[in-house]
Amino acid sequence: MHILALTSACISILGAFMVITRRVAVHAVLYLVVTLLALACVLALLGAPFAAALEVIIYAGAIMVLFVFVIMMLNLGKPDRDRETEWLRPRAWVGPAALASILGMELLFGLRTLSGTGITFQITPREVGLSLFGPYVLMVELASFLLLTGLVTAFHIGRHWPGEH
Amino acid sequence: MIINGIFLPFPLFVLSVGTMLLLASVTLHRSSRLSFSLGLLTLVLATVMTYYPAPIMPLAATQTLFFADTWANYTAALILLSASCIFILSWQDVTQRSARSADEYALLLLLGALGATAMVFSVNYMPFFLGVEILSIALIGLVTFRSRHTQKGLEAAMKYLILSGVSSAILLFGIGLSYSVTGSLVFEFSTAGHETGTGIAAAASIMVLSGIFFKLSAVPFHMWILDVMEGASVPIAGFIAVVPKIGIFSALVRYFGSEPVTPFLHNTMSAIIILTILGGNLLALCQTSLIRLMACSSIAHVGYLLIAFYSPGHFQSDTMVLYLAAYTAATLGTFSIIQAFVSPEGLQRSTISDWKGLFFTHPFLAVAMTAMLLSLAGIPPTIGFFAKFEIAASGLEQRHYILLTALIVGSIIALYYYLNIIRLMTTPNTSLNIGQNKKTNLTIYSTVFILTLIVFVGGIFPSFFMNSIHPALPSTRAEYLQSHIPLP
Repeated sequence: MHILALTSACISILGAFMVITRRVAVHAVLYLVVTLLALACVLALLGAPFAAALEVIIYAGAIMVLFVFVIMMLNLGKPDRDRETEWLRPRAWVGPAALASILGMELLFGLRTLSGTGITFQITPREVGLSLFGPYVLMVELASFLLLTGLVTAFHIGRHWPGEH
Repeated sequence: MIINGIFLPFPLFVLSVGTMLLLASVTLHRSSRLSFSLGLLTLVLATVMTYYPAPIMPLAATQTLFFADTWANYTAALILLSASCIFILSWQDVTQRSARSADEYALLLLLGALGATAMVFSVNYMPFFLGVEILSIALIGLVTFRSRHTQKGLEAAMKYLILSGVSSAILLFGIGLSYSVTGSLVFEFSTAGHETGTGIAAAASIMVLSGIFFKLSAVPFHMWILDVMEGASVPIAGFIAVVPKIGIFSALVRYFGSEPVTPFLHNTMSAIIILTILGGNLLALCQTSLIRLMACSSIAHVGYLLIAFYSPGHFQSDTMVLYLAAYTAATLGTFSIIQAFVSPEGLQRSTISDWKGLFFTHPFLAVAMTAMLLSLAGIPPTIGFFAKFEIAASGLEQRHYILLTALIVGSIIALYYYLNIIRLMTTPNTSLNIGQNKKTNLTIYSTVFILTLIVFVGGIFPSFFMNSIHPALPSTRAEYLQSHIPLP
């Protein structure tokens, strides 16, 4: 179990390092997905399956889609076909695929050997929800103010003013 | 106020309601005047609310998120008053522009004040971190509000975004490590784990402190403040110099309680304080822009404040209370005078040599500026003198002789650059023009007048500010909560 967690942690660090050294944004995003999946594995092995599921659903799922979408919007230089063939060269995806397959093997191995021996105490979504909207409801409200601030700031910076600039 | 056993300090409640009302009014009718009045009204109401005694809090000590003692109320009042002052200063500047942009300005200023107030009242890592983030993100937006040199504002905002993100990540990592050692998110320095020598507890404290020092702009982490303040408009530069620093400093005091700092941090704290005082003052020597100079002087003042924080004793709480008031009044005063010379087109006169001959053209502003600078330098009869005197007294009580030497050397260097500005103002030859609008002048003049009055009255009757506002210690806090929990 320790070995599995450490391997996942190493993969996440390696992936994060590759994210910041890639030159093409899409390649970086591929490594970022692997990093997030590795983090989810670490969380699951630490006994936080709900956090792991959120990591996969929200970060590797929703936020990555947003990233890819923004990259698509911004990369308007070359024709689409050229760009996509460049992105899909083996050199670009072999690295992330290898790391992801290591994670996948870990998962299969873990499913076979660790099932049944698993965690006795699990934090369920229900408990998370109860504590978020029970004692920590003010934190939810404060976080909503944080999001509001981010929204207003992004809206202000991202807008073009006629006559300014 | 308490709803279902959850405690929310009154000022935070007023600020949140005010923010929501402002949002609602923006959706119904866009008017810069209305937004600004609503924002100012909210801040004033929230300031009034800091005088209300906190109700009894019926929660176990471990679950408490907010705590209102006199220290939190005092620093919150300072933050809210400073934010109101910034509102008044930027009134003309922003309302002249289109209404839509003014709405966002008011909203972000209010949210920034909300973040700083949340920090001040928090006794848990969660509200503290959320407050820090609300304030930083609001600042990113505020820095870009500039009618001229929009590019410069964007550049400053970008720098602040990246550096503040890095420091928040370090802070968050520290909070995580601290949670792994203590198993609780209570916002206090914990000595648990330091004896075992695993290093995780030490790493946690160092990382949390790094995050806090970055936001305070203490010296190894100070590089952002010069560029960010220069890139921002004058009122926002004043906001950056005052509001986040009060909030973070208040939280730092809360973090350690007013107990002696643990031995393993002694060398770190001394090094940070000496570097901050000398670094800030030496950097200020070679500045030609007044705003950059004020940024450097604010770094140096953080160093002086940290001496007070590092010297627990009889003088500590009075010193911190007086020094925060003195620093806030003098800094806001200086920035209001700089704002008075911003031309209606948004052109800043921030080069120091522009200020030649101010005594002959604008005697009132020149006298006020002299008072502010003398107060910052710590010369009687201004409030800054007593503030610095108290710092020396509290340092002497704890026998921090090396730190006091740094304080003296730093003050001598500071005297040179503050007096240099006064010397330039008495030199004849001028090219300075005050903004054309008479109405702006009236608001700014009255703000300057009130701040000058505070600086002089505080200098003559400093006891007004010294009524022993102690931050509640974690132990007394627990006792207080214990004694007020209703028996089952």
